[in-house]
Amino acid sequence: MPLLTADRAASAAVRVQELTRTYDAGGQPVTALDGIDATFVRGTFTAVMGPSGSGKSTLLQTAAGLDRPTSGRVFVGDTEMTRLSEAALTRLRRTKIGFVFQMFNLIGALNVEENITLPLRLSGARPDRRWLAEVTHRVGVTNQLHRRPAELSGGQQQRVAIARALAIRPDVVFADEPTGALDSHTASAVLELLRSIVDDHGQTIIMVTHDPVAASYADRVVTLADGRIVADRNQREAEAVA
Amino acid sequence: MTGIALRLLRHRPGSVLATLIALIAGVTILTSMGALVESGLRPLPEPQQYANAEIVVAKRDLTITGKQLGDPYTATVQLPERGSLPAGLADELRKVPGVENVAGNADALTLQASDRVAVEKVAASAGAQVYTGNDRVLVERPDIAEARGLLIEVGGAFGGYVVMLVMFVVAGTIGLSIRSRRRDLALLRATAATPGQVRRMLMAEAAILAVAGSVVGVPAGLLASRWLGEQLVARGFVPADYGLSRGLLAAPAAVLLIVLVALGSALLASRKLSGIRPAEALSQIAVEPARLSKVRLGFGLVALTGAVSSSAVSVGAGGQAALAGAVSMLYLFVLAVALLAPWINGITARYLAPVLRAGWGNSGYLAAKNLAANARGGATVLTALVLSIGFGGSVWFLQDNVERQTVQQLKSGTLAQYTVLTPGEVSVEKLGRIPGVEAVTPMRQTAVIVKVLDTLEVVPAQAIDPAQAKATLDLKVRKGELAAVGPDSIAVSATQAASRGWKVGDEASLWLGDGTPKRLRVAAIYERGLGFGDVVLSTATFGQPPTKLLIRATPDAVPALKAAIGQSATLIPSEQATAGVSKDLAISAWLNKLLITVMIGYAGLAAANTMTVAALARRRELAVLQLAGVTTRQLKRMVHAEQAGLLGVSVLIGGVIAAVTLTAVVYALTGGAVPYVPLAGVLAILGGATLIAMGTTIVPIARLLRQSSLAAAGTRE
Ligand SMILES: Nc1ncnc2c1ncn2[C@@H]1O[C@H](COP(=O)(O)OP(=O)(O)O)[C@@H](O)[C@H]1O
Ligand SMILES: [Mg+2]
Repeated sequence: MPLLTADRAASAAVRVQELTRTYDAGGQPVTALDGIDATFVRGTFTAVMGPSGSGKSTLLQTAAGLDRPTSGRVFVGDTEMTRLSEAALTRLRRTKIGFVFQMFNLIGALNVEENITLPLRLSGARPDRRWLAEVTHRVGVTNQLHRRPAELSGGQQQRVAIARALAIRPDVVFADEPTGALDSHTASAVLELLRSIVDDHGQTIIMVTHDPVAASYADRVVTLADGRIVADRNQREAEAVA
Repeated sequence: MTGIALRLLRHRPGSVLATLIALIAGVTILTSMGALVESGLRPLPEPQQYANAEIVVAKRDLTITGKQLGDPYTATVQLPERGSLPAGLADELRKVPGVENVAGNADALTLQASDRVAVEKVAASAGAQVYTGNDRVLVERPDIAEARGLLIEVGGAFGGYVVMLVMFVVAGTIGLSIRSRRRDLALLRATAATPGQVRRMLMAEAAILAVAGSVVGVPAGLLASRWLGEQLVARGFVPADYGLSRGLLAAPAAVLLIVLVALGSALLASRKLSGIRPAEALSQIAVEPARLSKVRLGFGLVALTGAVSSSAVSVGAGGQAALAGAVSMLYLFVLAVALLAPWINGITARYLAPVLRAGWGNSGYLAAKNLAANARGGATVLTALVLSIGFGGSVWFLQDNVERQTVQQLKSGTLAQYTVLTPGEVSVEKLGRIPGVEAVTPMRQTAVIVKVLDTLEVVPAQAIDPAQAKATLDLKVRKGELAAVGPDSIAVSATQAASRGWKVGDEASLWLGDGTPKRLRVAAIYERGLGFGDVVLSTATFGQPPTKLLIRATPDAVPALKAAIGQSATLIPSEQATAGVSKDLAISAWLNKLLITVMIGYAGLAAANTMTVAALARRRELAVLQLAGVTTRQLKRMVHAEQAGLLGVSVLIGGVIAAVTLTAVVYALTGGAVPYVPLAGVLAILGGATLIAMGTTIVPIARLLRQSSLAAAGTRE
C-alpha cells in the first residue's frame, strides 16, 4: 500500500512532481531525471537506490534545492522551492534542510564546533546551546569540538557532518552516499546513528546509497533506473508510522 | 562574515602570503610613484629675487587655446628657452589704470597693480604671463619649473602605466586565489551561505589583505620615496632646495587605490563564481565550467588586432614618449594574451602532447592532459609569465637601443675633429682664418614647440650656421639640402617629418624655444634625429649665442685655435665630446631605467606569486593521483613537464611580443630595422623566467607531496 494517503498528505516533508533534469554534456543532452513523482512522509527514513548513473544524486540535489530541475516542482513542507530566488532558496535550505555528502563535507579552516554552527551563524540565528550539546553528544563528537577536520577519521568526519545537518533542527536531512567512503564497521555505526535519529526525534531522512546493507536501515526503498522510479518498497512500515 | 573570512585566510598561509607580497609591493610602488606627483604639485618655495615685487610679468610658458571637435581646450608648456618681453610692454603696462612702479628689463618686469586682470590682458597680448605669490619663483628659477614638469610627467605618465600594472597583478592574484577555492565556496553555498554572503566574505577577505599589505607597504613606500628623492637631487634631476614631498598624501591615496582594486577584483571574481551550483560541492572534482564565451574570444581578437596595428603606427620621438608608446603596445599584447589564454593553452596542450610524452614518458602524458583540462585555470599563469618575459625582453633593451643609437648617430654624424665647449663670445670668423681650419659651425642646443592635436610638444632642436655645415656635420640628409636652411626654413628628422606629415617644401608651424611663433619651410629631411635633434634651425632664425663650435681642422691648427678661444672656452677632440654626451645620456636615463627595473621586477614577482598560488591549489588533485597509484617521483616529473611546456609557450609568445614591440619602436625612432639585443640580456631574461617557473612550482609541490595524501584527498583544498 502506498505511503501517501489523504490524511497524511499534510505531513509530507518533501514532495516532487514531474521532476525532470537534463544536462548538456558536450552539446549532447543527457536526461538524468525523466519525470519523477514522489512524496516523502515526515518521520520516515527513505533509501534511494539504483545503478550508477541512474539519477540518484540528481534527484537528491534537485529535491534539496542544491540544483534546479529542468521542469517539475519541488515542495518542502508547504513551500514550493522551485519558485524561489537563489537567496531565498539558500535561506530556506539553511533553516529547513540538512545535508550529508559522501566526502568533503567540512570546511578545513574551521574546527568541528565552527563547522557544526556554520549554517546557524550564516543565518544570523543564535545557537540553541542545549540542542547543540544534545546533538554533539548524540553523534559522539563532544570530545573533538576543537579539532580540525583534517585531524579526524572518516567516520568522525561523517558524524560531524550529521551533527551540522541536525543543528538547525531541519525538516528533512538529505544524505548522498554518506557511508560510501567508510569501512563497513564505521559505516554501520553511522547508519545506526541515522536510524536512531529517525526513531527518537521523528527526523525525516532521505539517503542515496547503492549498498543494500545501508538500504536495509531505511523504512522505504525507492529504486531508480535511467531517471525513472522502477520500484518503491516499504520494508519497515511499523516503525515508519510510529 | 569577517570572522569566517579571517579563519579561511589563516588556513591557507601560502596563497595568502603570495597575495600579501603582491599587495605590499604594489602599495610600495604606488606610494613612491605618488610621492613624485605630490612633489610636482606641492606649493612652490618663496621667491628670493622677486620677494618684494607684487607682480612679475615674464615669458616663461606657452599657452594655446582652441577647439578640438567642438571641445575647447587649453595647453601649456614651459618654454625651453627664456622668452624675452617686447620693448614696448613696460610702457603699455604703465598706461593701465592702477599700475605703478613698473621696473625691469626684457627678461622680466615687476610692478604693482590694483587690477590684476587688466595686467594679465595686456601681458597676454604680448605672449607673457603674470606671476604673483610663490609662482614668482618660476620666473627666477627655471630649474624649479623644470623639475616640477619632470616630476609630474614621470609620476603621471609613466606612473599611470605602473598603476595599471599593479592593478592587473593584484586583480589577477586575488582572482586566482578565489577561483582556486571553488570547492570550499561551493560547500559554503551548499551549507547555507547566500551568494551575497559569499561575495561579502570574499570582499571582506580582500579588504583585510589590502589593509594588512598597506601596513607594511606604506612605510616601505615612504622609505623608497625618501631614497628616490635623495637620488633625484644627487643626480641633478631636482634642485637641492626644491623640497621634495615624502609621500604623506600619496600614501593614503595608494592605500585607497589598493583597497578599491582588491575589493573590485574580489567582486569581479565572486561574480564569476555566482554561477556556481551548490551541487558542485558534492562532486568529486570541482571544475570550472568548460564553456568559453565567444565574447571573450571576440575581445581577445580585437585586442590582438589593436596591438598589431599599433605596432605599425610610428610612436612619438624622445626617450620618454618612445617608452610610453612601447609600454602601451605591450599592454595591448598582454591583454590579448590574457583574453585568449584558454585557447592558447588548449592548442598548446594538443600540440605539445607528443613532445611532453617523448621527453617525460607517462609523466609527460599526464602533464599534457593536465594542461588541456586546466586550459582556463592556467590562463593567469600563462599571462603572468608572458607579461614578465614581454616586459623584460623589450623595455630594457629599448632604453639601451635609444642610448646606443643616439651616441652612434653623434659619432658618425660629427665630421669635425674638434669641439669647442662654452665658446662664449669667440669670433667664428677669426677661427676660420686660422691656417689648417677648414670649417667652423656654431651650434646651439635648443628646442622648438609643435602643436600635436590639442597638446603642445617640446621637440629637441639645434640652431646652426649652415654655411660650412657640409664639412662638419653629416646628418644623413635624405631629401633636400642642409645648406638650403635659411632664415625662413628648417630641416627636420625623418621621424618628425613622418609623424607630422611634413614633406620638403611644406610650411611647418612651430614656436621657437623662446615662444616666438614661426611658419618655416621644410628645406631638408635627415635621418640622424636622435643624435642631433628633430629640427635644425638656422642661427639666422634663432639668434641666441651658440653652446658649442664644431671645427674641422688639421692637428697643427690646434695650438692656434687654443690661443684664439681664450681661457673660458675649452677645445676637445670631438670623440671626447661624444663620450661626454653619452655620459649625460646615461644620467638622464637613470630614472627611466629605475622605473623599468621596478616594472620588470614587479611583473616577475607577479609571475612567481601566481604560480605559487596555482601550485598550492593542486593539493587535492595531486593526492587523488597519488591514491590512483602515481608515484611521488612521477608526480614531480609530471609537474616538471607541465612547467617546461608552459615556459616554452610563454617564452615563445613573450619573445615574439617583445621582438615586435622592440622592432617597431626602434624602427620608428632610428629607422633601423634590427634592434640591438645583447646575448647576455637574452640569457638573463631566459634564465630569470626559467628560475621563476621552476622554483615557484617545484618547491610548493614538493611540500604538498610530503604531506599525507589521504588527508589531502579527504578534506582540504
Ligand atoms: N554536471 C553534469 N553534467 C553532465 N551530465 C551529468 C552531470 N551530472 C550528472 N550527469 C549525468 O546525469 C546522469 C545521472 O547522474 P547522477 O545523478 O550523478 O547518477 P547517480 O548518482 O545515480 O550515479 C548520468 O548519466 C550522469 O552522467
Ligand atoms: Mg551519485
